[in-house]
Amino acid sequence: MNALSLKDRFRLSRFFAGEKPSDEAILLNQRRIFILPSKRGLSFVVLILLLLLIAFVYNNNLAYFLTFLLASVFFIGILHSYKALAGLTVQKGQCKPVFAGERAVFEIHIDNPIPVPRLSLEIDLHDKTQMTLAPYEKKAVRLHAPTKHRGYQPCSTITLSSGYPLGLFRAWSPLRFNLSVLVYPKPWPQEIPLPETGGGASDQGKTEKGTDDFYGLQEYQRGDSIKRIHWKAYAKGQGLFSKQYSGEQGDELWLSYEACAGYGNEERLSRLCRWILDAEKTGLRYGLKLPGKKIGLGIGPLHRASCLEALALF
Amino acid sequence: MLANIEKNILLFLLISVGLIALPHIYHIPASIFGFFVLLLTWRFIGIWKPSCLPDKFLLFLLTVGGLVLLYSQHQGLFGRDAGTRLFMTALALKLLEIKQERDLYLIVFLAFIVAASQFLYEQSIAMAGYILFVCCVLLGTLVAINSRRQNTFNALKTAGIILAQALPLAIVLFIFFPRVEAPRWMLFEDKSRAKTGLSDSMEPGSISDLSFSDELVFRVRFHGPIPPNVQRYWRGPVFSVTDGKRWTEAKHFTYTATAEPDFSGPAYRYTLLLEPQNNNWVFALEMAGDYPPQLRMNSEYLLTRSDNPDKRAEYPITSYPSYRTGALSGHKLRINTQLPGQASQKITSLVKRLGGFDQRPEQFIDHVLQHFNRENFNYTLTPPLMEDNPIETFLFETRSGFCSHYAAAFTYLMRTANIPARVVTGYHGGVLNPVGNFLEIRQADAHAWTEVWLENRGWVRVDPTAAVAPERIEQNVNIEQQIASRNISFFSADSDLARQLDWLKQARQLWSSVDYNWQRWVINYHSANQTQFLSSLGIESLKQMLSWLVGLGALFTGILSWLLFSRKEKTADKMLRYYCRFCDRLAKAGLKRNAGEGPVDFAARSKKAYPDHAAAIDEITDLFIKLRYQKESSQGDLSRLAEKVKRFKISL
Repeated sequence: MNALSLKDRFRLSRFFAGEKPSDEAILLNQRRIFILPSKRGLSFVVLILLLLLIAFVYNNNLAYFLTFLLASVFFIGILHSYKALAGLTVQKGQCKPVFAGERAVFEIHIDNPIPVPRLSLEIDLHDKTQMTLAPYEKKAVRLHAPTKHRGYQPCSTITLSSGYPLGLFRAWSPLRFNLSVLVYPKPWPQEIPLPETGGGASDQGKTEKGTDDFYGLQEYQRGDSIKRIHWKAYAKGQGLFSKQYSGEQGDELWLSYEACAGYGNEERLSRLCRWILDAEKTGLRYGLKLPGKKIGLGIGPLHRASCLEALALF
Repeated sequence: MLANIEKNILLFLLISVGLIALPHIYHIPASIFGFFVLLLTWRFIGIWKPSCLPDKFLLFLLTVGGLVLLYSQHQGLFGRDAGTRLFMTALALKLLEIKQERDLYLIVFLAFIVAASQFLYEQSIAMAGYILFVCCVLLGTLVAINSRRQNTFNALKTAGIILAQALPLAIVLFIFFPRVEAPRWMLFEDKSRAKTGLSDSMEPGSISDLSFSDELVFRVRFHGPIPPNVQRYWRGPVFSVTDGKRWTEAKHFTYTATAEPDFSGPAYRYTLLLEPQNNNWVFALEMAGDYPPQLRMNSEYLLTRSDNPDKRAEYPITSYPSYRTGALSGHKLRINTQLPGQASQKITSLVKRLGGFDQRPEQFIDHVLQHFNRENFNYTLTPPLMEDNPIETFLFETRSGFCSHYAAAFTYLMRTANIPARVVTGYHGGVLNPVGNFLEIRQADAHAWTEVWLENRGWVRVDPTAAVAPERIEQNVNIEQQIASRNISFFSADSDLARQLDWLKQARQLWSSVDYNWQRWVINYHSANQTQFLSSLGIESLKQMLSWLVGLGALFTGILSWLLFSRKEKTADKMLRYYCRFCDRLAKAGLKRNAGEGPVDFAARSKKAYPDHAAAIDEITDLFIKLRYQKESSQGDLSRLAEKVKRFKISL
């Protein structure tokens, strides 16, 4: 790990917000782990002071000893708290795009490389997740966060903490990863009719009928729908082919920003999003026209993803 | 909310609370202990039947009930007994109101306070061990709360480990934490605490009650030489009035001193540190000459204090063992020769035989003491019962008794001969604490002796017990205890049983020496002892004490963290380290392994970049893959990998 300058070392934000976002696995060590007494720890200090007062007033050596024993337990609790987190490595995982308003799922991998069980770990992103790790155990944790706006939403600081063993101290480590979720616009909530296909003569009825007429096979191209793959031929080892239907040669559905005139920017994107989803369902080949950007005709998850991404980042 | 807290944690907690409270069965009234047990049992049942737990209203009633119970004991809020009762009641009530984890913590904290309160009643090794164990269980509860999945036995084990790790630090703190005596205003003593001690009257047997009490009465630190044991009579209440059985104090009308005695000979200056007492007597060495103004001397030369005897107090006093008191007023003479009716024929003839009516008082005193010494009189703590006419019974029939019997009989005989005499009670002797260089006077040192008024000499002390049991007076051998312990030798020394019991005796001796050291080094490790002990180590000042405290604390913490965090590298770690070193070498040369790039891909890339090293790169990569991913790898492979990586160098 790169060294921190002295000034960075004492910056308060390190305590809560963590260091610069990282791409690599983060090893929890003395630089990353912070420890402070919890509220219960502070009341434990009050207890120790009360016991000390009792021992002092009655000049009772065993009461003194009990007080000192508890004070020592409290003190070495710092070491045990550190031990609860030290040595863990945390790595970022996958993160699938979501529509605005849905909960984003960030995946992180926690690895316990030593033969000590980690009891009572708490991971806090938006909600708190409790977990334990057995010796040498590796776990993938899915953390949820709400999304509001389209575009890339970075994963905020993930806080890994533990109160083990006595709950008198809280050891925590704020972690930041170069991890962000792509948030698509929120689909328009109501059904809206698809715009007219750009095939000229063909009308709506014919289009629907056309999807049923098998026309021939064509070599698979990236973006073709998985539903149209000629699996039988693939299973015979003849290669990957997509089935072509008669109707679709002429059916070109252009979803354009301009077609949504009369709405605001976000609403237009939201409507376009809805259309993309609907078009994908009906199996029409569709293209997207945004001011300054055009995505050609196509169908399938990849095509859909690139269209939605274009909307998200517009 | 309750469902959050698991059953076994609750069970664990309740058991530890029960254990912590158990020894208090001897210390607090049955009503409060009963209340505690009731609530604890209720809570136990509540684990399986949560519906039977009290609701808010019932809980309020119970709280009121607890308060009424506390109030009915008239103990106030402060002090040992009151505090213990208060915390026990609070603990019991809190048990019924467990809603969150926070409540569990509060209960554990209260339980720790109750644990500490046990030590205010008993400080034996057994109690210390017991409390240590229960504290381990309490900490185990905290561990269990913080690790839901862990079973309770493991939690207990973890708590035990933590306690064991805390022990060295605690011992360092115990030795070096400066002990200061609490200021007097902080000593809340308990009103109804039954204290033993001398009483304001003397009956046969009244002093023998004290003979086994090890309770400290006062300490004396002499500024200069310490008087010999024969002179160490600590004066307490003086009894001049008797009904033949019971001896009581004469009403002293004037508290202002009568004639002050004439003092001569050496003076002893000392500080008397009095433990809390029942009465306001201050037991000064006979005879006190100078004393602080808050003390008064009554007409019987007894010092009394005007403040609350419940509090520990310290007085500087000067005493003179040689003194001469003045004349006796007619009133005093009457009181000190008073007898209940005519002495019996038997007693009169004894007095006559010993020369009470025709010889000088000094000679008569000698004859009486010789009589005690030569006629088979016994000193015993367990004399036969002397119901009526105890003096006659004692003199002619039983002839065995202890100091109060001898003092009473002697005074009676003197008075029969019309010599003014009275009984003085107090303490005698005291054990020198060689470390603190002060005398400790315990209840077992309680004693009764007599004073006889002689023409030209005034009141003269005569101790008839000395005639019977001189060891007690000269060497301060506590013969009462010796006599009492003599009942262990039932067997003749050469019997098999005796030999077999020998190891038992040795074990007993060993135990008593352990117990003595426990008392000496742990229980009584107060400021004086601490100063003494530390200065024997060369630690004189507070500053040195604190730096030792911090230094040793840091040392033990260092050792502990080394134990906690150093671990032997596993093979897996080692080979990773070697492989990383290999990658570092390549990185230095300019070829960095990408994130997520497997060793095979990386090897291919690096071979392309450094074809000269292809063989070495292959070897290292193969070894690494074998060690990391194959089951059968050997220590030899690991050392070969280490060797190869060591030799792997790319010259630029």
